[in-house]
Amino acid sequence: MTVTCDQLEMLLPEFFDGALTAEQEAAAADHLATCTDCRTVVSELEGVSSLSRTHGRLVLPEASRNRIRAALGLDPPPSDTPA
Amino acid sequence: MTFAISLVAVRPFTSPRAVPSGVMDDTLNTTTPTPSVAVLFDQFADGVYTLGFRIVGDRHLAEDVVQETFIKVLRSLDTYRGDGPIAAWLYRIGYREAIAATRKRRETPLDPDEMLEADDRQVTSVEDAVLAAELTRRLDAAIARLAEPLRSAFVLRDIEQLSTTEVARALDVSASAVKMRLARARQALRVELKEYLA
Repeated sequence: MTVTCDQLEMLLPEFFDGALTAEQEAAAADHLATCTDCRTVVSELEGVSSLSRTHGRLVLPEASRNRIRAALGLDPPPSDTPA
Repeated sequence: MTFAISLVAVRPFTSPRAVPSGVMDDTLNTTTPTPSVAVLFDQFADGVYTLGFRIVGDRHLAEDVVQETFIKVLRSLDTYRGDGPIAAWLYRIGYREAIAATRKRRETPLDPDEMLEADDRQVTSVEDAVLAAELTRRLDAAIARLAEPLRSAFVLRDIEQLSTTEVARALDVSASAVKMRLARARQALRVELKEYLA
């Protein structure tokens, strides 16, 4: 099995989900080994996911976390420092 | 200043293995007892806050989304039947709350710089903060410019690390729709963030 650039693009959702069949995965790897353009695209799309994973997540501010916990009637979180 | 990453040099071009749901752990699958609200809050509050902010674009309204989401979780957890990942069930509530909150949002242009504070961000050092400042500003702006259906799918899949199936359940759409939205979102962000991806 071989794939073209357009066909590889169609496979990218499954590629990034790790859901390609063995045959598709082999064909994708073969194509990427020889196609600089597709290699760049895949690398950049992986970069988007990687950057988003590392820089896109927010942390609920501590004061807000404690306020919401209290509003929900939840016990305060355990202290970081041992008693 | 650019913050380049070089994936080409360090990563082989093989299909990545299936990404496990980063916000799920083995204690939160359907074969174990339903966790308490406190456990769910500790595990998902940041994720719901992230989803809320990315949809609503306002830090305070995003906090309201978190609170309203977990009030509903508190009231309805005993009705959760374990018929799917609890992350998807919980984010579905959060997503609906975020959409409802957008109706309350004042009609002003989204400006992530003004709406985020330093303690909203996970950074490990001053150097990291400096290096990441421009990147995060650009990333925030680029995500904010995505159309909402693309944005929510992207946030849940690529930031919160839910599986495609879980995202589909959370957004009440098909897996195919999620894949299409993700492809479009990633492509748009690839264009916007190209200088950081070299």
